Amino acid sequence: MRPFDTFSISGSGLTSQRLRLDLIANNIANVHTTRTEEGGPYKRLVPVFTQRLAVAKGNTEGVGVAVTAILKDEGSPRLVYEPGHPEADEQGFVSYPNINVANEMVDMIGATRAYEANATVIEAAKDLAEKALEIGRG
Amino acid sequence: MVTGFGLGVIQRMSIFDDPVKNAVSKSLDAAALRQRVIANNIANVDTPGFKKSVVRFEDSLKRVLKTGALPLRVTDRRHINTNDLSSAEPRLERVETTTLRTDGNNVDVDEEMVTLVTNTVSYRAAAHFISGKFAKLRYVISGGR
Repeated sequence: MRPFDTFSISGSGLTSQRLRLDLIANNIANVHTTRTEEGGPYKRLVPVFTQRLAVAKGNTEGVGVAVTAILKDEGSPRLVYEPGHPEADEQGFVSYPNINVANEMVDMIGATRAYEANATVIEAAKDLAEKALEIGRG
Repeated sequence: MVTGFGLGVIQRMSIFDDPVKNAVSKSLDAAALRQRVIANNIANVDTPGFKKSVVRFEDSLKRVLKTGALPLRVTDRRHINTNDLSSAEPRLERVETTTLRTDGNNVDVDEEMVTLVTNTVSYRAAAHFISGKFAKLRYVISGGR
């Protein structure tokens, strides 16, 4: 057991939640993006969280979390009737990204709170380390 | 009176082999491990299918200390020592039986936070206690000056 493992474990949590927040920000920023490089409207990006494992003394133990993939939400685009829009199809519908801003907001709150929880654990770990250094100081 | 080999060893308590201090340092180890486990549980709060782990220590420590109430006398290193603190090891247990959300994850952040606070307090208490032990030792070594 390495003494500063807690920091790297919680640090991986912070990194992952921040990446999740970045993706949410990107999703909200692209809520009206109708053109992308691969064609069609922007697709919502979703992070995939996977637990990070390490083998110590023969048994595997968890040492944090990692975002192993960023997937595209392949749900059908949101069709809005806007006949005057240059991107509208023959029926007058514009394909907007499949992003629900309310859902993204709720997800954002979740990411923020999870980030805070990890930050709290780091604070507690700092407290423990400080107390350990005080042993024998008198 | 027969005094065989090895029986003439006087049982001494070394100043650095205080059983109470050993027990407290064990609980420091356990608290450090628990801290790490909580960190891992919280880090994986959004990982689908993740199952939390818990550290079990206090029960085994209590058991060892209880059997130590009537300790077997040890005058030789080959004797059975009933008050062996090394058997009180913190154990890691994965909780597989519960599920909190539809994705199979069972991390309860509130519970983890409460455990975190309790753990920090008990670590501080143990560290404080050990510091006190060393302070007394230093006081004795310096002849009370």
